[in-house]
Amino acid sequence: MTFHLRFWLNGQEVRTEVEPDETLLWVLRERLNMTGTKVGCEAGDCGACTVLLDGRPVTSCLLLAPKAHGRHVVTIEGLGSPAKLHPLQQAFITYGALQCGFCGPGMLLSAAALLTQNPHPTEREVREAIAGNLCRCTGYQKIVQAILAVSRGEVP
Amino acid sequence: MTVITRPAPPPVVEEAAEGAVGKRKSRHDALLQVTGQALYGVDMKAPGMLWAKAVRSPYPHARIVRIDPTRALSIPGVACVITARDIPHNRYGFTHQDQRVLADDRVRYVGEAVAVVAAETLRVATEAAKEVVVEYEPLPAVFDPIEAMQPGAPQVHEGGNIAARLHIRDGDVERGFSEAEIIVEEEFRTPFVEHCHLEPHAALAIPGPQGTLTIYSSVQRPFLVASDVAKVLSMPLSHVRVVATSVGGGFGGKNEMTLEPWVGLLALRTGRPVKMVFTREEEFQATTVRHPYRMRYRTGVRRDGTLVARSVEIISDCGAYVSWGASTLAKACIHAAGPYVIPHVKIEGFLVYTNNPVGGAMRGFGVPQVGFAYECHTDSVAAAVGMDPITFRLRNGLRDGCRLPTGQVLERVTLHQTLQRALELAGWERGAVP
Ligand code: FES
Ligand code: FES
Repeated sequence: MTFHLRFWLNGQEVRTEVEPDETLLWVLRERLNMTGTKVGCEAGDCGACTVLLDGRPVTSCLLLAPKAHGRHVVTIEGLGSPAKLHPLQQAFITYGALQCGFCGPGMLLSAAALLTQNPHPTEREVREAIAGNLCRCTGYQKIVQAILAVSRGEVP
Repeated sequence: MTVITRPAPPPVVEEAAEGAVGKRKSRHDALLQVTGQALYGVDMKAPGMLWAKAVRSPYPHARIVRIDPTRALSIPGVACVITARDIPHNRYGFTHQDQRVLADDRVRYVGEAVAVVAAETLRVATEAAKEVVVEYEPLPAVFDPIEAMQPGAPQVHEGGNIAARLHIRDGDVERGFSEAEIIVEEEFRTPFVEHCHLEPHAALAIPGPQGTLTIYSSVQRPFLVASDVAKVLSMPLSHVRVVATSVGGGFGGKNEMTLEPWVGLLALRTGRPVKMVFTREEEFQATTVRHPYRMRYRTGVRRDGTLVARSVEIISDCGAYVSWGASTLAKACIHAAGPYVIPHVKIEGFLVYTNNPVGGAMRGFGVPQVGFAYECHTDSVAAAVGMDPITFRLRNGLRDGCRLPTGQVLERVTLHQTLQRALELAGWERGAVP
């Protein structure tokens, strides 16, 4: 039995056939070849697979793809492009908020969701917003600095 | 001040250094990373690609009686199953050639791979891996390196459980202890640590013309992997090309060959690209870890706070295979006396096989373990002579021209400046006890 999945991905309508037990992560990476969304644990622990579902961050490894039916999904490819970076993407570069970069896509989307909801968060609120995104390389400090810099309008 | 003379670097290096030092520079690949365009091992794909899945041992120690892939091979979509028999040269390792690409006569730790399946989809490969029948005869296992050193302990390999033994001697430690007024003795233990790089091990092998092979892998040492793959698959080195993808964290955990010969051989056998990604469970269970150490420190000191003798015994739990264990232990032994002037030193290191996960390279390579021990121990020795730990360190710390127990003479030592600066920044008051 296949499911005819229709949803909006980074503003574009997408139709694809999926198995009903496939995760959104699998559909994005393997069926749609959108590998910007990363995979670290497939258990909801690491946050590397974070995407925005109707503006809210979700771990796409835990979301069955049919659950995204009719909804809006934003992945890292939709946040900004090399030609037109989102301020958070620019800030992550400027502040050196990445080492291996593998946590980056998920981290950036969690941060983007926070700043949309709460444009001037405290440091504590920033730390809470990225609590579900593990970074094994950086120690978080520069990530928090980068997000706060954007919230203060200090990044072009 | 000692000046090291060396040939003048070419001007271009000079220029680059001038432009870079003291300036903020962004990573060369930062733009690709933040936009999700960087390609990691898990992101690699090729048309017509198969997925591979390993069959792993549920036993810490067992004899393999029989492996029967018939049922797995009968599943629609399964393309190939490989076992130890398919590996032309089933031995590798840096210092000890003890590791198997796939287990042959025995498995020696939980999670050791005995077979690998390639199938049209990951789903089929995962199902088929469960259908490979492996008959085991469980053997007594040993999980504690001290027990493993005792006579009569289960033997992880032929030839005894002590895989390597290292020692460093400087001066006459017995005389040193006889000159000491106070002797402090302590034991320290450190645990297993998994690297837990966010990206799991992942590779894609693509067969090329005339039996050549290209392997894209999330790996820290592509050239080492290429030569090991060529060796175990008995191929000319010129036929194996290993390309390192962006690496989603390594920390030493991707410092050696793991899944590359499996996907490589499966690609050669099937004539199709083969991809493999470890699950997080496999990362914890079946990939290398930081070696747990037991360290016994014994230090002789005079009442005025002068160090006179130190003996250190390090027992490293190697796990089932040596991997980087011997070189890690060597580095630990070199550092074990700590950054202090001690005239009489004896250091002994034992690398001991157990049926635990294989210890490998991890950040610091043996030094974090001994660093933890000798600095805790330094505090205890300082307390035993009634000195505050900073005064004690400043008094005994290494300086320019000091000789290490290995014979190395040091230049440009900044220990005292570093300590002083740390004191200033921390607002440490002389005499305070931590
Ligand atoms: S892959 Fe989804 S949380 Fe780790
Ligand atoms: S930069 Fe490597 S996990 Fe965050």
